[in-house]
Parts: sequence; structure tokens; C-alpha cells
Amino acid sequence: MQTLKHIFVIAQNTFRESIRDKILYNIGFFAVALALFSIVLGEWSVFDRAYVIKSTTLSIMSLSGLLISIFVGISLVQKEIQRRTVLTLLSKPISRVAFIVGKYLGLLLVVAVHLVLLTLVFYATLALTGSEPTFSLLIAVYLIFVEMAVVIAVALLFSSFSSTILSALFTLGVYAAGHLSNQLLEQVRFASRMGEVDASTSALFEKIATVIHAVFPGLYRYNVTSYVVHGVALPDMYLFWNTVYALGYVGVFLAIASWWFSRRDFL
Amino acid sequence: MIRIEHLHKTYRTGFTMKPKLALKDVSFQVEPGQVFGFIGPNGAGKSTTIKVLTGLLRYDSGTVLINGVSPREVKSRTFIGYTPEQPYFYDYLTGRELLKFYGKLVGLDGSELDKRIQWALELLHADKDWIDRRLRSYSKGMMQRVGIAQSILSKPKLLILDEPMSGLDPVGRRDVREAIQELNNMGVTVFYSSHLLGDVEAISHRVAMIVDGRIVREGTVEDITNSCSVEYHVRTRQGIPSGELPEGVVPAGHAQECICGDDAARDRLLRYCLDKGISIERMEHKRPSLEDILTEEIARADT
Repeated sequence: MQTLKHIFVIAQNTFRESIRDKILYNIGFFAVALALFSIVLGEWSVFDRAYVIKSTTLSIMSLSGLLISIFVGISLVQKEIQRRTVLTLLSKPISRVAFIVGKYLGLLLVVAVHLVLLTLVFYATLALTGSEPTFSLLIAVYLIFVEMAVVIAVALLFSSFSSTILSALFTLGVYAAGHLSNQLLEQVRFASRMGEVDASTSALFEKIATVIHAVFPGLYRYNVTSYVVHGVALPDMYLFWNTVYALGYVGVFLAIASWWFSRRDFL
Repeated sequence: MIRIEHLHKTYRTGFTMKPKLALKDVSFQVEPGQVFGFIGPNGAGKSTTIKVLTGLLRYDSGTVLINGVSPREVKSRTFIGYTPEQPYFYDYLTGRELLKFYGKLVGLDGSELDKRIQWALELLHADKDWIDRRLRSYSKGMMQRVGIAQSILSKPKLLILDEPMSGLDPVGRRDVREAIQELNNMGVTVFYSSHLLGDVEAISHRVAMIVDGRIVREGTVEDITNSCSVEYHVRTRQGIPSGELPEGVVPAGHAQECICGDDAARDRLLRYCLDKGISIERMEHKRPSLEDILTEEIARADT
């Protein structure tokens, strides 16, 4: 019970820290500006206006969420260590696990608020332009949020043991691998079927692609923009299983981050 | 309250992870109710010992107990309040917001938390307008007061302060000194490190001196200074030729002044003066200060 309270207090403070940070406002401002710019894009485009507004705004949500998750996420722990605020904090009767989980939930709340605000702008834009603001679009927004939940955990994991720049690079690497692993596996299998490479090389490539696909979180699962924009139904239980899948990765990443952080000395 | 036995701590630094022994067989105890001063030069191991006590550093071997609990356990930190050297806090918060944040982490809330914050601020003479300003505008003295205030919110049994008076102006130092004494009067055990040996002599019940990772002296200030030889500075009415000074007595830059290195030399000088009919104008016995002893120990460690 006490641990839950500590997590809550740290999360609350992390949220406060983030909303008093200029970076967040800059990202938020550009995201809103770009969302509004999608109206102009819709007018200029040869495609259907509603399609352009929906797909552009969802992409902006995903990108701005990613920027916040990575750039605020990697600095969460490092800033505490570099500014030595961690010394006072960890001398209180709180566990290091509570510290990591609290930091994680605080930033997750920031991303949630950011996405809620953008969703309101999104729906207002759709309503103003008469572009069918359907309920199904919320599914795409929800999955962006779940994807960011995984990305924040990755950023926090790397920032618990490496520098800010390395953490950013590693996190971007995992993000890219998570989005491309499925395509990579398909391409390798396709090349193998077409007989473009010899059997032994093909088997090796397939093994490597399978390992990458199995180890890295499959973030491609959370990009359903084209489905919802075109009104194509997602498979049954898609949201549920992909939420469980994300929770599994978040749990593992936070457990490793907490374990590593618990072993750290603070000079 | 604190028991440290045969504590060893090694740092591994640099790309090659070269080991450096920071604490070598450190042992001492702090009894409940004491004000315990921990002194030593820079890099001697004071902050390392304090960080081991607060659970911020792991140690290689030895026994470390706070109120019977190892600092490896979170429970040990329910007994302590800690202010690091040159405390840094979240500068986007005001002083009061910071105290509320730390207060909640030690289990306080609502009106009880507000009362405790007020009590801590009054004790440290910090119940001023600036407490509601953002910390980024604070001076070193204000930051130190807030730092100590956050460490006493839980009314800890043991207060650990790393260089609490360094960098403060005389008024700030006096306020911190008085706060330490007042907290001690309330029953709080205080363990603190300091470079300001005059302050340490004034307020500490016991002192441990650490040089190059080893405890070289430990005891009351009186015990430590008494353990060193006492010098006698003597002024006579008539001059004594330096060649006639008894063994162990050295001239002090004037024919009528000399220094006796110990009690035996003093006795020899007195006998000489009686024999020669030389009267003594003044005799002062000078005990070495903690600073003299620390300087001597540092020089010994260097050789």
C-alpha cells in the first residue's frame, strides 16, 4: 500500500515536471498547428479531404507522442542523476522499483493528456470540415497510446544505464526495429521462396529475421490508421490481445530497468 | 544508532574499471542522542561513508547497521533524514511544493503535513516569503535551509548531514548550528560531516577523523586533543641563552621566550630557572586543536 502511494507521488511529480517543461509545449504547439494545417492539406490534395485530414492527424499524433516519449523519457532518470536530486529522493524510505514505476506512470500520463488534447483538436477539425468524425478513429488513437506505453518503457530502460544520447539512439533503434521487423521477416521469406539466395544463406537470414521479430516489440501492430480511415474492421479481440502484448513488454522492460537501477551506486 | 564495523568500499572508475579502495576497515559507533562530527580532508571518504549509510552506495564487506537495520533494506531509511552536500532539488518547484513532495514520500498528508512543514521552516528560520518562490531563484543559504527542512519532516531518529555548513555566511552557519543543537535537544541523533572544525569542536559530543579512507582518531573532542602532547609557551623575566636551554626546550624567537615540547621538558626548564634565580613571567599550555591534529594526520598519511 505504501509502495503504491510512493509510486503515485513520484508519478504526480513527474507529470508536474513535464508540464512545466518548455519542450512539451513546443511539441504540443507544433502538433496542434500541424493538425490544423491538415485542413489546408485536405483542400489541396487530390485525395478525399476526410481521408487526408484523418491520416495526417493520426500520423501527427503518433509522431508527437513518439517525440515526447523518447526525448522526455530518456531524460527522466538521467536528469535526476545528473542534477543529483536522486540522492535526496532515494534516501527516503522508497524502493528503487517504486521510483522507476512512478517515473514511468508520470510520463505515461503526460502522453495520455497530450493525446487527449490532440484528439479533441482532431474531432473539432473533422466536425468543422464535415469529415465524418467516427468513433472508430478512437481505436487508432488508443493504439497509438499503447504503442507509446511500450516506447516510454524502452526509453526508461536505456536511460537507467546509459547516457542521454545513447538512450535516444537505442530507443529510436528499437522503435525502427519494432516497425520493420514484420516486413523484414516477410521479405526474407519471400526472397527465400523465390530462390534469390542459396538455401544455407537463406536459412541464416530467416533465423536472424525471426529472432529480431521475436525479441523486439512488434510496434507495427499499433499502426492501424489505414484500417480505421477506410472503415475496415479490425479482427475480433485485436485491441485486447495487443494491449496484453504491450503490457507484457512494458512489464519486462520495467523489471529490467528496476533491476539495473537497484544495482546502481550514486556518487 | 549507527554501527559500522570493518567497512570496505571499492570504486571502479574509468574505462578499465580500475579499482580504488575508498574505505579501508572503517569502524565506529554513534550512540543515540549524540551529535557526532565526521571530519577529514576532501576525498577522505566522508561522503562515501554517508552514502553507504543512506543506501545510495553498496559496500564490499563489513557490517553497517542503522538502528539495527542494514541500509540495504528500505526500512532503514524510515529512521533517517538526510541532506546531501550542496543539495540540488527540482528547480521547477517552489520551496513549499518541494517540502510537500518529500513530506508525502515519508507518509505525511493533509493538515499534518502542513503543520510539519511550518514547524521545520520555523526551526530553520525559513518561514519567509521566499519559500513560495521557485527554487531556481534560491541562494545557497536558502537551498541549505530547505535541504535540512526536507530531511527533518519525518521527525527522524537520526539526522545525517553532509557538510551542512559549508558555503554559508556566518548567520547561516549559526542558524544551522542552532538547529542541530535544538534537534539534538529533542532527542534526534545527529551525524554530520564538516570541514569547519571550529563548529565541530563547539557542538559535537564525539568526533571521528577519517584520512585516506581510514579512521585515524575517534572519541570526544577532549579525548582526541588530550591524546596529543601539550606544548608550554614560557616567557621569563630574564633572557636565557639558547645554548643553555634544557633538553626538549626550544627558543621561540626571543631570548625571553621558549617552548617546552612536553611535561618533562617543562619540569627541566622550571628546575633550571629555580637554580639560576630566573623568574617566570608567564606560562601557557597549548593543547593542539582538531585542525592541528587533522593536519598532522594528513601529513602522516601523505608520507
